[in-house]
Amino acid sequence: MTLTRRSFLTAAGLGVAALGSAASCTSPTTANPGRLTLWYTNGGVADQVVADARQRFGSLFPSQVSGSLKQRLMAAMAGEAYLPDITMLGDDIATYFADTAHFADLNALGAQSVASQYLPWKWQAGTGPDGFQLGFPIDIGPAALYYRADLFAQAGFPSEPDEVAAAVSTWDDYFVFGARLQEKLPGRHLITDTKTVYTYSLAQEPQKYFDRQNHYLGDAPQIRRAWDRALTAFHKGLTGGYAGSQDPGQSVERHAAWNSGKELSFVNASWIVTDLKKSAPETAGKWRVCRSPGGAGNQGGSFLAITKACPNPDQAFEVIRWLLSPENQPRAYLDAGLFPSSPAALEDPRLHEPEPFFGGQVTMTVLSQSAREVKPAYFSPWDIALSDAYTDELTNVELAGKDPGQAWDDARRAVERLLTRQGVL
Amino acid sequence: MATLTRVPDPVRSRAPRQRKRWKYLPHYLAVSPFFVLFAVFGLYPVLYSLFLAMQRWDGVGPMKFVGLSNFQFLVADPTFWDAMGNTLIIWVLSTIPMTALALLIAVGLHSSIRFKGVFRVAYFLPNVTSVVAMSLVFGSIFSSEFGILNWFFGLVGIDPVSWLTDPWAIRVAISIMIVWRWVGYNAIIFLAGLQALPTDVYEAARVDGAGPVRTFLRITLPLLRPVLLFSVVMSAISGLQIFTESQVLLGNRGGPDEAGLTMVLYFYDQSFVHSDFGYGAAIAWGIFVVVVLFAILNWRLIQRPGFLKAGR
Repeated sequence: MTLTRRSFLTAAGLGVAALGSAASCTSPTTANPGRLTLWYTNGGVADQVVADARQRFGSLFPSQVSGSLKQRLMAAMAGEAYLPDITMLGDDIATYFADTAHFADLNALGAQSVASQYLPWKWQAGTGPDGFQLGFPIDIGPAALYYRADLFAQAGFPSEPDEVAAAVSTWDDYFVFGARLQEKLPGRHLITDTKTVYTYSLAQEPQKYFDRQNHYLGDAPQIRRAWDRALTAFHKGLTGGYAGSQDPGQSVERHAAWNSGKELSFVNASWIVTDLKKSAPETAGKWRVCRSPGGAGNQGGSFLAITKACPNPDQAFEVIRWLLSPENQPRAYLDAGLFPSSPAALEDPRLHEPEPFFGGQVTMTVLSQSAREVKPAYFSPWDIALSDAYTDELTNVELAGKDPGQAWDDARRAVERLLTRQGVL
Repeated sequence: MATLTRVPDPVRSRAPRQRKRWKYLPHYLAVSPFFVLFAVFGLYPVLYSLFLAMQRWDGVGPMKFVGLSNFQFLVADPTFWDAMGNTLIIWVLSTIPMTALALLIAVGLHSSIRFKGVFRVAYFLPNVTSVVAMSLVFGSIFSSEFGILNWFFGLVGIDPVSWLTDPWAIRVAISIMIVWRWVGYNAIIFLAGLQALPTDVYEAARVDGAGPVRTFLRITLPLLRPVLLFSVVMSAISGLQIFTESQVLLGNRGGPDEAGLTMVLYFYDQSFVHSDFGYGAAIAWGIFVVVVLFAILNWRLIQRPGFLKAGR
């Protein structure tokens, strides 16, 4: 028996070794060799359109990535194995600008010829500092003011979209309007939290934290402006304090506020509508949309990119071009709430139907105007981390009673520390 | 393994040292799976993270050697110290009530009541429930204005607490979730400990006229000490790695005042949210140092002369 055991163990050992070496030799560079693998998040690309693309392009292999696509993509890129041919990139696309060696330049595949079909600022957001076209626009997130027309009217305030837009054209107007309205409707609030004011105020600026050459703009006036606006809203008692309203724990609270009418209005990108409809179905017909205080701005929106590993980038580009074509974008908006990044799609009559949830208003009129007027600000690889540093401190002021001056100093210090660590300063 | 060693064969031992090396090959192979797996999935990542802690790396592009500067940043990083404080506070806030409650439940289950099996399963269920699902449920329970907890507080005349926005309430809320999740697990362990206690001691106590409370304090508790110690050590290990509850309830930044930002959550935020893998690795080593200090503390506690025998 000992001999058998020994030979068994030897064989097993050899087997393991063979398996190991075989795996290391054959691990493919792309996830499904011979096919075009497309990675996207749940709802990141419209499922219906993807299904059609599959019919059209036989080799397309769509794969909805569960969990964090970014983490999976980075692991695959670092290991240079099991890479997708086409991948979705989020609004943090700038974090990949330093790694363009892992991607195909869409300009080399003829992207220039279709560039004019998309919103220029969005197209630019997918362009790296050296002119490398990394991303092809999927959707955008034009900001607007969503408000409860019924409650506005009940308090004797303007309630038609045009009237409201005129009354709250600047942030200061909005704050004055809000303070008066909240007097009439005590216990309710107009603004989600300080973070919203900061985020959407900064989204309206032509410049954020860095210029296109990745030079840090330092203590720029637009940062201070957004910060002061957020604090003003807080000091006037207009904010609801739903910090982290995107997280499951806090969103419960905010959803309840939508249902009960406690949140009278909020500024947000268009993608909130899916959430709003799902979470507060009983408020259908009571909401309206108008131009955001301070004007147009964008928050969020994604891209498709082709990895270097893709053996057939021309075909991959054909797929992307079709998936995100101006003809298919209206369907993506109707099916999945992906706001079109192509001006032609914004004109589509299907998107200009009266919407019952908004009391028969054609919201596309407002949203498409916002989409067109967005200023092409440069979104640097560090923007999200920097915004986090500022909004964290705003939250501390709003909810933890921190001294605003101290909060500003701490935010500045956190930003400097971060940028020093990253080797930017 | 001793039974497997064989006497060397004198006829065939031409190169005894060579043979000796190969002779034990099967044994080495037999114990190798663990070591191979550990080397690949344990040791290598550990060593690599040390290497990574000295780099600046976004996860994809080229690494840049930065020496010990990540560690310098870590030591001077107020957020890391806050995260450490939060972790310890949450650990204390959760472990003490949890141990007391688990003990009570275990004693209850130990006494002759009906449907013992049902209760045991029921108490264990939270431990195997998905934490993410739990956090969603707790999100509604802790909701300041629409939550069950504040509604109940209202009934008994306590002012509502903003559970997810007030820094201290956040820590309490996370602790409650941890208690909820681990109390049943510890109760089952205590129950096993209780069932292993000798009955003659109890009989002697009853003969001497000791009541139930006195019996519990003077006999059950001292005899259970090793089990209690085990549960405290285990909860220290898991307590220093609190992550999911905070992350799902409050997001990657730990909520207002970063009150729910634990060490592991900060590590996750820096490495996987902000793609700063070098600094993330440095934070991981910071956590390691804290855990080692705790382990030494625990070890010293156990090694204290007569500690385990204290109750006998």
